[in-house]
Amino acid sequence: MPQVKIVARNFMDMVAALPAMKLDKLYDSTFICEAVLRSLPPLAKKYVLQMLYLEIPVTAKSMGEWVLPDGMSKHKVAISRLLQLRIFIDVVDRKKETSYRLDTKFQSNIRKCLIHGGVPPRESMPSNITVRLPTLDDLECYAHEQWECFLLQLISSGQAERSTSFNSYMLKTFQRGLLSSRENEAPRLTENGFQFLLMDTNAQLWYIIREYISTSEDRGIDPTDLISFLLELSFHNLGEAYNINTLTEIQQNAINDLAGLGLVKRQQGRKEMWFIPTILATNLSISFSDSVSHKQGFVVVETNFKLYAYSTSKLQCEILRLFARIEYQLPNLIVCLINKESLYYAFENGISAAQIISFLHDNAHPRIVQKIPRVPENVTDQIRLWENDRNRVEMTHSHLYEDFPSRDVFEAACDYARELGGLLWRDSKKMFFIVNGDAHQDMRDFLRRQK
Amino acid sequence: MDNESTLSTIYSEDVSLMVVILDINPLFWTSVNSNTNSLTFTKFMDQFLPLLNSVLLLNQLNEIVLIAHGINSCGYIYNSSMENRRGGKRGPAFFAEVSEKLKEFMEADCLHRKGAKSTSTIVPSLLSGSLSLALCYIQRVFRSRPIYPRPRILCLQGSPDGPEQYVAVMNAIFSAQRSSVLIDSCVLGLNSAFLQQASHITGGVYIKPQQLDGLFQCLSMVFATDVQSRSFLQLPKPAGVDFRASCFCHKTTISMGYICSVCLSIFCKRHKKCSTCGSDFNRPNSNSKSSPVQKSKRKLDDR
Repeated sequence: MPQVKIVARNFMDMVAALPAMKLDKLYDSTFICEAVLRSLPPLAKKYVLQMLYLEIPVTAKSMGEWVLPDGMSKHKVAISRLLQLRIFIDVVDRKKETSYRLDTKFQSNIRKCLIHGGVPPRESMPSNITVRLPTLDDLECYAHEQWECFLLQLISSGQAERSTSFNSYMLKTFQRGLLSSRENEAPRLTENGFQFLLMDTNAQLWYIIREYISTSEDRGIDPTDLISFLLELSFHNLGEAYNINTLTEIQQNAINDLAGLGLVKRQQGRKEMWFIPTILATNLSISFSDSVSHKQGFVVVETNFKLYAYSTSKLQCEILRLFARIEYQLPNLIVCLINKESLYYAFENGISAAQIISFLHDNAHPRIVQKIPRVPENVTDQIRLWENDRNRVEMTHSHLYEDFPSRDVFEAACDYARELGGLLWRDSKKMFFIVNGDAHQDMRDFLRRQK
Repeated sequence: MDNESTLSTIYSEDVSLMVVILDINPLFWTSVNSNTNSLTFTKFMDQFLPLLNSVLLLNQLNEIVLIAHGINSCGYIYNSSMENRRGGKRGPAFFAEVSEKLKEFMEADCLHRKGAKSTSTIVPSLLSGSLSLALCYIQRVFRSRPIYPRPRILCLQGSPDGPEQYVAVMNAIFSAQRSSVLIDSCVLGLNSAFLQQASHITGGVYIKPQQLDGLFQCLSMVFATDVQSRSFLQLPKPAGVDFRASCFCHKTTISMGYICSVCLSIFCKRHKKCSTCGSDFNRPNSNSKSSPVQKSKRKLDDR
């Protein structure tokens, strides 16, 4: 089975892939330094902190002494990440020893953070202008509603009640990886699309943001500007109003798009216009490392494979439909049955058993969260078994060799194939054997030489 | 990142809840001043506050609780999770707030000790109280949240141990061990047997920094490390642990004494009756007289 995985968490890979000059420019901003620091693996964070007030480079050898033998692999990962993001600069001295020092800009910015702390990027508006700001709970509701609406529009354009502010062109670009649109055919979700729906909100958000940024060049916007603005946005205070006029033109356009995703809420006052960051925006900088979604779950799975979902959302219903048969629907309750057919349908669409189980686990209803395990064991086992059922036969691309002129040639060819490690099966009586597809080219060269 | 989220994680990976216990015993800090030791309280705060800031900087979900104890009282000074709901303030405002609260606390603490007579020696501060406070806070976090960060305690202690707090401190240490909370300690004054034992038993780090000028470097090298990374890093190892106990009768530190065979209470002198559990040591025909026991170091530790 092909391993298709949407990697949504590696937003920082995108930052790391920027050319050195642009990356250096990004580090001008304290917020970006802070966000980048937070995205690092724990050990790497530790090294940055340790090196923060060292003025001279530290040799790679002495850094190796900081870790225990067990941690060597983690150490290497940390160092390579730091080098990749150009936080560590390697210096080779006369004795050909490698040593590392922190990027000076990064270093001074983080020092600033430590001493002066994180000051919000811009002043929030006084409360006498912005009357009636939404409460935090309202804001969270708004954000999730907006996001769901966007997702629904993404997967089935017809179903959303109101359309988001994205124009159809943008929507198309988001759908590119998730929906297959053949001509004369209704668009279908691809394997990636199915997996996308089962991810948690933060991961989905990052996937969309990545797409949004990577297509920005087509729209004539420098991705660096967008990246820095998004990271900056995550350092605004939740639920406070910020004047839109303090933004540049590019940022104002971006704000409009982000409002469509539910990252910010726009409000119009008598004269001024302002935006209020929602929880989705302020969580942006957490979600690089694995974070925990605080959403309340809604799913109860019983040992008889019945699934009760307390939800009014159409999106949730669509998601459940991916792997369960919907029996009936009440205003606030969806009752489904997980059976072999529904799961086979899911597996065919490229959803794995592990994904389904983790979805059921992560979205467990608060009443059953305390239970261990949250999803009955017989159900999880059965889901896994049904998945294994499909993988009983493994397909390998291979070639059959037959009609050998003599037994010697056959034996020699056989031995050679075995040496290559590509011999899959042989029948010495009838003189034919089967070779792995990878070894075919070498095999053919070998036989040609024999002639 | 490199660690895939598994199905049931109670702790999110490197997120930590750090409860910092700060000794603000005025007698200790004034003695520091007069000793021409380089580290005054102000200088100490300059080095200490960036540590709090750096822990908050490393992860948005990290939490810090600051508890201070003086001679007679202990109390919460700062709790970062309270601030975070509406965007936490850090930086100058944070420093100012902490300093202001500390000042208030010191004044209140001094009012409490009106009864005490002024002494020339440093009176020990209330370590047991703030340790218990920290553990209570951690227990509350355990019980009230579905998902909580990994907790640990950092003690910054200046004043010497108070032998009369022995039982309370040991109980706090054992309950920390049970709930697998690490106790790190950084001693600024004399070596502390309590904290040596606390760090030894709970698996934390105990250090007594040699150079107090570079305290921040030392603090950030050792104590900013999250619990998970500690299994990969070389951290300072203790030179030795002082396992001596205090007796229950006169609250003095002893290395040899009498132990009640029933309840394991420790006494410096021979008694007729155990004052804790009431067992009679002087029964005429009984073979099980309590006898002086050479206390091995391990015995106390295993209690």
